[in-house]
Amino acid sequence: MNVPLSPSAPAPAEAAALPAVELAGIAKLFPARGESTSVSALRGIDLVVETGKIVGVIGRSGAGKSTLIRLVNGLEIATSGRISLFGRDVTRLSEAEWRSERRNIGMVFQHFNLLSSRTVFDNVALPLEILGTAKAEINRQVTRLLEIVGLSDKRDRYPAELSGGQKQRVGIARALATEPRILLCDEATSALDPETTKSILALLKRVNRELGVTILLITHEIPVIKEICDEVAVLEAGEIIEHGAVFDVLTRPQHPSTARLVEGVTRVEIPEALAARLSPTASPGALAAIRIGFVGENATSPVISRLTTTIGVDVNILTGRIDFIGGRPFGSLIVSVPGAEPAFGAILASLKRLGFEIDPLGFFETEAATSEAPRHVA
Amino acid sequence: MSPELLRLILDATLDTLHMIAVAGGLGTLLGLPLGVFLATSGKGELFAASAVNAVLGVVVNITRSTPFIILVVAIVPFTRLIAGTSIGTSAAIVPLTVAAIPFIARIVEGAIREVDQGLVEAARAMGATPLQIVSKVLIPEALPAIILGLTLAAVSLIGFSAMVGAVGGGGLGDLGIRYGYQRFMPEVMLIVVAVLVVLVQSVQTIGDRLSRHMNKRIRHI
Repeated sequence: MNVPLSPSAPAPAEAAALPAVELAGIAKLFPARGESTSVSALRGIDLVVETGKIVGVIGRSGAGKSTLIRLVNGLEIATSGRISLFGRDVTRLSEAEWRSERRNIGMVFQHFNLLSSRTVFDNVALPLEILGTAKAEINRQVTRLLEIVGLSDKRDRYPAELSGGQKQRVGIARALATEPRILLCDEATSALDPETTKSILALLKRVNRELGVTILLITHEIPVIKEICDEVAVLEAGEIIEHGAVFDVLTRPQHPSTARLVEGVTRVEIPEALAARLSPTASPGALAAIRIGFVGENATSPVISRLTTTIGVDVNILTGRIDFIGGRPFGSLIVSVPGAEPAFGAILASLKRLGFEIDPLGFFETEAATSEAPRHVA
Repeated sequence: MSPELLRLILDATLDTLHMIAVAGGLGTLLGLPLGVFLATSGKGELFAASAVNAVLGVVVNITRSTPFIILVVAIVPFTRLIAGTSIGTSAAIVPLTVAAIPFIARIVEGAIREVDQGLVEAARAMGATPLQIVSKVLIPEALPAIILGLTLAAVSLIGFSAMVGAVGGGGLGDLGIRYGYQRFMPEVMLIVVAVLVVLVQSVQTIGDRLSRHMNKRIRHI
């Protein structure tokens, strides 16, 4: 698997000044057809993909992701706006000009789109055949690519004899055959199981890091963004509602739709058994449940021990989750602390001082109090 | 059975094979590109030319909806022009070919349309020209279905070739009608039918095997 990708891999910093992809004020209108009215697929799209980065566009189905990614290799033509690749304006390219431009842009598909009549080798060779590359050169290049994706032993197999993950590896090798500088991934892992998804994402990351290929991917899965993207743009109903570094967008979403999208990844839900017992007011001796949000550096600060030593309260962790994006930790804990004033107010104040996001959830009777209460015997 | 009769049957069989081979060959030669064009010239397709597509579609449908026996008679002047005569085996090849072209074209069109559009998109994304998409993607991917379709066409041609016997074409149909029916020799009729059955069966078997061999979507274990 870990074959060095290329002895002559271009340094990722090369031509870093010019963004690989730049979309400015893009709109795409699908004209009316028959009885249906025209559909506005994209509106006012501004998106810059810096060279060497992995940028993800996330959105629900129908948000316009597929249209967006197809503008970059000319499979769709924008109704208005400007597209540049490495600083070169490609907005008005003819179909013939696009054909030669496309050798610089590889594309990977959700359903692989491999030719069933060709072997693995011949599938990877196809883009080179289309270019008119010499046989010996094709043989050399395909052999090298199959080594990179770890499928050298499958070169004479047909796609029907491969697993989904293997098919996508062929798809990636094929997309890289013409040594493109940009790789477009159209839901490349959406048809794969989580385990296979991980290995395909790892491969894409290697392609990015070691070959210096800029990757623009679209997905509806947050884990894909979390796993490999440097930046993420959130697409909703044809508009980009949020764009930034993955860590920032996922941990501090600005738009309510983004917040809903990332909820499952960053938020910890209160266990149901506890939720049923929560009440908004404190009864004597009750405990308070608090959600503490961690972002970045403070996620690792010793909050529990500090509360215990500085205020002298017992902190009990009820549930929690700490995760990492690009090596930076984030997450949240739900803890219980004594609910009686003034101790409770002091706890909240000191948590805020430490820079945590605090969300008091309510009060509940302790287990001990419940079990000590006289049972009703019939 | 007399050696003369055996000779007659052998000659008739060869005549029939000659007719379907030439008509099938010419029909494929002209029907294949026509079918590819029909499948790729609709609105928004590779060779978008919807007006030409519509006209060709109508021509194909007219040819296909005309009963074969009427077609044979209707194009007699054309047959004379091409073959120099309107009677005999060579003459029969003309209407057989004329009937085979649209039949094969529709079969090829259907097979091409069955190819996953995702493959066309992938090829476009690689920078393939429309002609490359046809030659490297559409035809190879549709080939198993095309082979099955051509088998169907060959079987139909065997049937049609028996019909041209009625209007003076040669071959097994002609033999069956002249000896089996008009001279009332039931044993000849029986042999003619038996040979036709064997022909159809062989063509179908070969076609099925070939198509299966080419179809890499099935795992061959």
